[in-house]
Amino acid sequence: MTNTDLKEQLKKIIVEELNLEEIEPGEIKDDDPLFGDEGLGLDSLDAVELVVLIQKHFSVEIKDMEEGREALASIDSLADFINTRQAD
Amino acid sequence: MSIKKRTETTENWSSRSIGTGWQHRFFYFLIRLGGRHIAYPFLYPVVLYYLIFRPDQRRKSRYYLDRRFPNRRGFAALKDSYRMIMGLSQSLVDRALVGICGPRILHTEFPKGEQLFNLAATGKGLIILTTHVGCWQAAMIYLSKLERPVHMLMQQDEGDIDRHYFEHSGEKNPFHIIDPTGFLGGTLEMVAALKQGDVVCIMGDRLKGAQENSLAVDFLGSPVKFPLAGWKLAAVTGAPLAILFPLKTGPDHYSIDLAEVINVNPKDARPLQRLHPYLSRYVKSLENLCAKEPYQFFNFYDMWNQDEKI
Repeated sequence: MTNTDLKEQLKKIIVEELNLEEIEPGEIKDDDPLFGDEGLGLDSLDAVELVVLIQKHFSVEIKDMEEGREALASIDSLADFINTRQAD
Repeated sequence: MSIKKRTETTENWSSRSIGTGWQHRFFYFLIRLGGRHIAYPFLYPVVLYYLIFRPDQRRKSRYYLDRRFPNRRGFAALKDSYRMIMGLSQSLVDRALVGICGPRILHTEFPKGEQLFNLAATGKGLIILTTHVGCWQAAMIYLSKLERPVHMLMQQDEGDIDRHYFEHSGEKNPFHIIDPTGFLGGTLEMVAALKQGDVVCIMGDRLKGAQENSLAVDFLGSPVKFPLAGWKLAAVTGAPLAILFPLKTGPDHYSIDLAEVINVNPKDARPLQRLHPYLSRYVKSLENLCAKEPYQFFNFYDMWNQDEKI
């Protein structure tokens, strides 16, 4: 899977499995913040699901705050994190 | 751009003690001097002071008591406030007592303990939903027997009343504390802990943070917003959720009530409204507890009006 494919899949998972309304996967920019008041505006309960979804789809675990803060910043960073972990 | 609509956050309660540092140190001194027998009598003047000369503090007891005893007026209402404030004060002494003298200083029964130990032993993870009831430190001796790492979601403000336990013991904290003010409210650490089969303790009765992560359920006659973190974790990780109430049953006796074990169907993780039936079961348990032990539910803020600051 190319990096572009991975990012598209991530956007699809986020929109469809987190039931985001009023947005299509294609509307999410790669560098949009996923959490907080800007960007997608996901919250801590979304994070619970997203972490489990990442594990389910990519067999990659996000175990703590430090990892999570970096990995869950944007689609770009999440794709990088998954690529790095899968390569290990 | 913010795609998800966000609602305002609420910071309508604080875990800070209303007592000053020297007041706490005085009670710690009394406990070291002669334990509960010396410390308890000194609570009478302190509680009477707050009852008579601190109407702001007395009023805080009325939010809950006016719902629990809607027809009480005058002296009867004052007596209710006294019993509730005294109950909390004794609980604070008991917490410090456990910290200073160790958990065996209290005689704690856990009639359904085996059920909880078996749940933890399955390795599927276990969520213990706690409430501001009684004295959770009384349950410490049993939590240590779970034979699984225990993580507690606990905010430790400067002056936090629960922090006092750890200040005394001088021993390594047997539990891992997860800070709810950390990144994403500590959810990543909680998910990781449950996924490796650990035990996570989380408060079920106070909303801190985004109001959108809550659902309103009727409690004592009117809707109250309760946090959903525990329920969401249970749905997503498949870990069972146990509702525990550590109740004071005598001067140095506690009994841990395992009120209910709830398994949340993963299909109910979203939308959040699907968690309502599970949350309602918890609130029903809490109402039953308030009916049975009305002075052991220690919520001194208006949980029915969650926008109010204290």
